[in-house]
Amino acid sequence: MIRHTNELAENVSAKVRQLDLARSRVYECQRRVNDILDLQLCSEGVAMALCNEDYEQGAAHVHRYLSMDQQLLERTAEDILMDHTNVSSSLITLQQAALQLRTVVTHKFDEAVKSEDLASVERFFKIFPLLGMHIEGLKKFCSYLCTKLQETAQKNLKAALEIKSNDKRASVIFSDTMTLLFEGIARIVEIHQPIIETYYGPGRLLMTISILQKECDRQVKKIIAEFMKHRCISKKVQIVNDYIRKPSSERADPKEFDLLLGEITIMHSRAELYIRFLKRRVKNDIEISVTNDAQYKDLINEFKSMINNSDLAHGMQELLGAYLALERYFLEESVNKALGMDTLDQDQQTSSMVDDVFFIVQKCIRRSMSSWSIDGVCAVVNMACGILEGEFANRLRNRLRQGYPAGYLDLAQAYSTLQTSIQHGRLQTSDTELARLMFLAYLNNTDVSIEYVETLCKSLSSEIDATFPNMQNKERGKIDSCLSGLKGVMSILRAVNDYGLEQLRVSAVKPRVTPWVDAFLSVDHHINEDDLLRYETEEPFVQTLIMNLEGLLQNFKGTLTPSNYDALIGLLTTEVTARLEKVVLKSTFNRAGGLILDKEIRSLASYLAAVTSWSVRDKFARLTQIATILSVEKIEELADYCGADAIAWRLTPAEVRRIASMRIDFRPEDVKRLKL
Amino acid sequence: MEDYKFLFKVVLVGNAGVGKTCLVRRFTQGLFPPGQGATIGVDFMIKTVEVENEKVKLQIWDTAGQERFRSITQSYYRSAHALILVYDISCQPTFDCLPDWLREIEEYASNKVLRILVGNKIDREDREIPTHVGEDFAQRHGMYFLETSAKEAENVERLFMEIAAELMEQARSKELPRYETNTTSINGKTTSIGDTSNCGCSRLS
Repeated sequence: MIRHTNELAENVSAKVRQLDLARSRVYECQRRVNDILDLQLCSEGVAMALCNEDYEQGAAHVHRYLSMDQQLLERTAEDILMDHTNVSSSLITLQQAALQLRTVVTHKFDEAVKSEDLASVERFFKIFPLLGMHIEGLKKFCSYLCTKLQETAQKNLKAALEIKSNDKRASVIFSDTMTLLFEGIARIVEIHQPIIETYYGPGRLLMTISILQKECDRQVKKIIAEFMKHRCISKKVQIVNDYIRKPSSERADPKEFDLLLGEITIMHSRAELYIRFLKRRVKNDIEISVTNDAQYKDLINEFKSMINNSDLAHGMQELLGAYLALERYFLEESVNKALGMDTLDQDQQTSSMVDDVFFIVQKCIRRSMSSWSIDGVCAVVNMACGILEGEFANRLRNRLRQGYPAGYLDLAQAYSTLQTSIQHGRLQTSDTELARLMFLAYLNNTDVSIEYVETLCKSLSSEIDATFPNMQNKERGKIDSCLSGLKGVMSILRAVNDYGLEQLRVSAVKPRVTPWVDAFLSVDHHINEDDLLRYETEEPFVQTLIMNLEGLLQNFKGTLTPSNYDALIGLLTTEVTARLEKVVLKSTFNRAGGLILDKEIRSLASYLAAVTSWSVRDKFARLTQIATILSVEKIEELADYCGADAIAWRLTPAEVRRIASMRIDFRPEDVKRLKL
Repeated sequence: MEDYKFLFKVVLVGNAGVGKTCLVRRFTQGLFPPGQGATIGVDFMIKTVEVENEKVKLQIWDTAGQERFRSITQSYYRSAHALILVYDISCQPTFDCLPDWLREIEEYASNKVLRILVGNKIDREDREIPTHVGEDFAQRHGMYFLETSAKEAENVERLFMEIAAELMEQARSKELPRYETNTTSINGKTTSIGDTSNCGCSRLS
């Protein structure tokens, strides 16, 4: 049964296949008949059209003829023996007509170009593709567009060269000229792409642009050559390069480069914008005309290599090179100038160099961004790192290396001395005061610089994202790496800041804190019950200490930046607690003395905690525990302290025993017997 | 956080067409791209390698050899830990330019930078610079020396691995106090690691 069904089905489908074949043969036959009929029509029509100079009509006939299968047509002509001559002659007529039309249309197009007859140019431009002359047509048309482009460009350049030096646009005239050129080409693409697409089909833009780009290259080269000549670029680059090698040679004022640098970045960004425009257009055009992935990639690569090898790209690379050489000089010289002109105002925490230097650095990096070149931005960021880590950090370090001059002097007094000496034109007499003020200002400079670098990194990062959307991974990697170099400047400045604080500790904190704390040794810590109340209320040792510390801090409070001031309190606290621990360990106590110590340490800790936003508790941990030991009522309590809360406990059992033995009322054997 | 212990910047310089990009691509991607176009500006690749069980991240900056990119490429010298100066053993002019490159390095790079002279394209039959001439030059200028072939993958891995190892050693010894030893360690010493033996990474395998 199944076999039977199977056979039946096979039979049926075989019949269907036969029918299908028959049908397709009928269809082909019909088409051939149609073709022959059309062929005759066309051959008659084309002759007529040529007679009437109706080239569109003629071309339409040729187009119909060209769309037929040529080989099939020949075969048909042979097949139909009786009508052979008829078909053959039609064929011959058409072939001749096509040939004739091609010559005529080419000639007419050339004539129209010569007589600047735009309407005719466009008319014949549209006929080319009908005659199968896509490439010739496009080439002819584009070279026509190129001549137009050339005329305008030359006129623009001539006008640019004639501009008066006091004209508003004089300083950017070359970038203006270049912008006009790019806009001109963009307009051509904008206007003609639809026509080309309609009459020539999609996928023709790459060729169109390749031809136009040749003209663009020629014009850009001319503009750049004039720019180089009139702005004396080579000479300027030579001067700055010589200066870097031999600083004694001829020097240029960096300010002179300001406008020039701006103009180059405009040119570069316009070229970049133009290339982005072309890329977008070509990409879209390729996308709609190509289905195959490999072909798509090939075409895109063809476009890329066309642009990369263009004189435009090379010219822009030359310009970018000149820009970077000059920008480097501008950056370094302006920074050096700012360092050289550093001044300190009385009401400022920092000296002028910080704001000046960061203004320059920011300006240069921003300017590089306006060139729209990622390599350019990276290079300027690298240069900025160089100068910040180099000259700038060295300047800070060298000043801090000179140290904070020891000896006590009120800062207000120092200022007034400074002022009078400036007024009297004799700075040398107040060298110490000046050195002190400058030291603090530079410590602040360092602190503020760290903050500035951090802000700069953050803002640059977001500005770069805005300037370069769709950045490729590789370019992002480059930018990120260069920016992390800039972040590296922060750690260098932090080290400088730490170094400065250490200088301050050595000369301003330690020598003064030591005698204040050592006063503890001259106080009796064996207090009888009668004196306890008086000591508790007066806290004679710690209140004097606090008063002294207060006096010390007062000098720095308004002068240092908040974070430097906090750092100062931090190191002051370390100094005081370390010294105090030392002197406490040299003393002996009775219980009342221990209680007073405990109270005094609490007062000191709360005073210091109140003047800073940082935590000081950690630094007081050991002292507080020592005081706890010294103030217990019975020695047995100590086991509880050491045992239970072991994590927060900082003292070793040996230390606990040693401290406990400082209580004169504890018996040594009890201390020895302590189980810790 | 990325997982690496050391990060080193390696910058390749040298005339156009000596094979800088090919060396980098051979090392980072294991391929030799025929018909490599000229590099524009700088190119940037990363490869993490392992030296003595430590992850070392190499950030490799491949610079354009053409003159017009010089001001871009110069800006990378300063932060480089190692500079690889490449010439083509089959092209005398690329060797003749070495003094110019050294002057650039002097001018822009840190004086502590590790400098390596590399003669590339030893697969070529038409050698113009004998090995000992390159060696002599390197020795005179206190550089390491190695001959390579990016095409045949010869000594490429070794080049970068030894750089990583040397930089790691430097970084470690920096933690210890070291003063007068500079002259003998980095700039003074020339080790020829470019003899004809075909071993891969002699120090590391």
